[in-house]
Amino acid sequence: MMPIDPTLFTIAAIVLWALGMLLFAFAGEKKVLKWAAHGSFLAGVGVLVVFTWLLWDILGRPPMRTLGETRLWYAMFLPVIGYATYIRWDYKWILHYSGAMAILFLAINLIYPDNYDRDLMPALQSIWFVPHVIVYIFAYALLAGATIVAVKGLFIKYTGRNRTWSMQPADNLVYLGLGFLTLGLLFGALWGKEAWGHYWMWDPKETWAFLTWIGYLAYIHYRYHKPKRITAAMWMLAGAFIILLIAWFGVNYLPSAANSVHTYSQ
Amino acid sequence: MSLNNEIPKMKKKPVWVAPWGYTEGWLICAGLLITGLALQLTAGGLDSKALSWPANIITGGMFTGLIAGGWLLFRGNPLVNWLARVPAAVTSIALITFLVLIMGFTLQENEGNPLWVQQLGLSNMTGSWPFLFGMMFFLSSLGMATMKRITPMKGRNIGFFLNHAGLYIAILGGLLGAADLKRVTMDLYEGEVVWGATDRQGHYMDMPFAVELERFNMEEYNPKIALIVTETGRIVPEAISEMFEIDTGHRGNMIGWDVEVLKFYAMSGRIDGRFEPVVDYGAPPSALVRVTDTSGQSIEGWITSGSFMYPHQLLNIDHEHSVAMTIPRASHYSSDVVIYTPSGDLIETNIEVNHPVSVNGWKLYQYSYDDRFGKWSSTSVIEAIRDPWLPVVYTGIFMLIAGSIYLMTLGKAPEKDSENRPERDEEEMSSPENKKYEGITAENRMSEESMPGRVTKPEPETELAGV
Ligand code: HEM
Repeated sequence: MMPIDPTLFTIAAIVLWALGMLLFAFAGEKKVLKWAAHGSFLAGVGVLVVFTWLLWDILGRPPMRTLGETRLWYAMFLPVIGYATYIRWDYKWILHYSGAMAILFLAINLIYPDNYDRDLMPALQSIWFVPHVIVYIFAYALLAGATIVAVKGLFIKYTGRNRTWSMQPADNLVYLGLGFLTLGLLFGALWGKEAWGHYWMWDPKETWAFLTWIGYLAYIHYRYHKPKRITAAMWMLAGAFIILLIAWFGVNYLPSAANSVHTYSQ
Repeated sequence: MSLNNEIPKMKKKPVWVAPWGYTEGWLICAGLLITGLALQLTAGGLDSKALSWPANIITGGMFTGLIAGGWLLFRGNPLVNWLARVPAAVTSIALITFLVLIMGFTLQENEGNPLWVQQLGLSNMTGSWPFLFGMMFFLSSLGMATMKRITPMKGRNIGFFLNHAGLYIAILGGLLGAADLKRVTMDLYEGEVVWGATDRQGHYMDMPFAVELERFNMEEYNPKIALIVTETGRIVPEAISEMFEIDTGHRGNMIGWDVEVLKFYAMSGRIDGRFEPVVDYGAPPSALVRVTDTSGQSIEGWITSGSFMYPHQLLNIDHEHSVAMTIPRASHYSSDVVIYTPSGDLIETNIEVNHPVSVNGWKLYQYSYDDRFGKWSSTSVIEAIRDPWLPVVYTGIFMLIAGSIYLMTLGKAPEKDSENRPERDEEEMSSPENKKYEGITAENRMSEESMPGRVTKPEPETELAGV
């Protein structure tokens, strides 16, 4: 019943990113190819922006209700963050990894197509809905960027290549990401008060959101104190991201979530 | 702490010799856990109502006074000094993480959990001794760190203050306020004035106002077309993503069957095998659909989701499958009410989900309705909540919101001298940003004045016993 075909947009974005990444990898010094690489990569984001905008319009509600819809936003933000990190620190690989992750998330949406419908349960009809979700997914994307830096660092360390590795991009992404994560958590609390009557109820989703938050909190304090111990720091980032993924997708499968009020995300 | 930069890397510092580090922190965590669990097993869980007004304000005042006084008078004490530094912060954060992680995996309810889980308090984590001890450790560290930075208060510490004091206020306020939080529900019936409410345990209480339900309102989304297995009534999984909204003219393909909605009535009545629009109590929605299979054969028929008064109706499309109409879901529901206060005020208002109404220190929420009747429900349940500590918690939350903006600005500029990276040191890959500290003497490393506020400022590496 959709007047537009989600699959078409999804595939277009994937192809444009893949092309952009290929061009980035093989452009060398050729100016034209470089421009084409930037153009293709950003066009992929553009396609997704247009699609999300159309979807919002067609559904008549923010497309942020289902897990598939949140993946859409994630796949939109992540390449932007990877691209910005690349522009700022000149790390081309982060662009590739963020592009690959975005493609992976869109591919999941292709395999499990969403049932887009207009229904939005009354509890979600709030001015907090959009800022809460956007800020959260943006934080998730930033923290994914930091994780990529850490995992690549771990890889370099354990494959024994004697190279130095800077955690500075990771730190900066975590500061930004944790800032957004905090905002998301607090917006959620303020919204919870209006919708359910209390700002914090240790519902499983909240419990795991708290764990994610405090994991990154531990990271920045540890970094501040022991900036030289980067291996431990990289492991912390990897662990924190696993908790983040559980908070995002995994909670629904945990026995502790049997009575969650947040079951709308399915 | 030593000011001497030349001190060779020390051997492992003996435990419990100042300054304490991570080892002491882990031992303290273990001690708190063991004591907490022992108390839990012998004395049982905590009474969540034990700290109601005014015991909570006294406890909070004393706790905060102890931290402030402790720092002002005894900052040389190894414990006090340690609490204000990162090893205490990281180990207390780790303890809380550990406890909350258990909570994240355990259903927080007695039913469904083995007895030992209940006895250890793991199925009621926030009401257990280990959690209380963990929080006290956490808050002591947080409070002490705040005290350390605000004595003396400096303008550039404002971001630090907003985050740390904000979190302290929000968490302490939330914990202490829990006992004063009242949540009760009022069951309203159309045209009846209700003064009383019941809490979760079923205790009755009189409210300082009365509520009369004038009308319960509900709007619904259109129902959806679903493909079901006739015998079980279950939706065919492969067709879930192909379900679509019913409206006249809508058309979709469901795993090979082409389904077209010829007519749709939001409220209808059955007349001689067909449906006609009616406005009537309990009238269900209905649709005339045409289903065409791959060979081009088609059948037509009426379907309805039914209501509490009328049965549902399917359209069989082969010996196994049917096309069905889902039960419409609510898009909005709310209660038109009149609230009477003892001072004689009469407030006519509407209570809707996400739009609570405040009266005399209480907030009223649309909570539920009689879902057997759906939009024809003549009852509505309103939840009334009183949370006198909310302003405290919100103060903390708004400080944290401001603080998180500060946090976002903490990033550093990219390094210029990526060529001159230090060599890999013995056990760690070097991180280039440490380069900055190598030319700095320990003396000015210690002095806050010489450091720009935002640069990472490690403590001298005296805690070699650390992680
Ligand atoms: C909203 C949560 C928190 C945020 C955003 C945060 C952020 C920070 C940041 C960015 C620093 C680096 C120094 C600076 O900014 O000037 C820091 C230092 C520190 N934090 Fe936190 N923190 C938070 C919670 C906590 C908690 C829960 C504790 C203790 C349990 C803690 C204890 C400390 C300590 C001891 C320092 C070092 C202070 C010093 O050496 O002067 N923080 N924090």
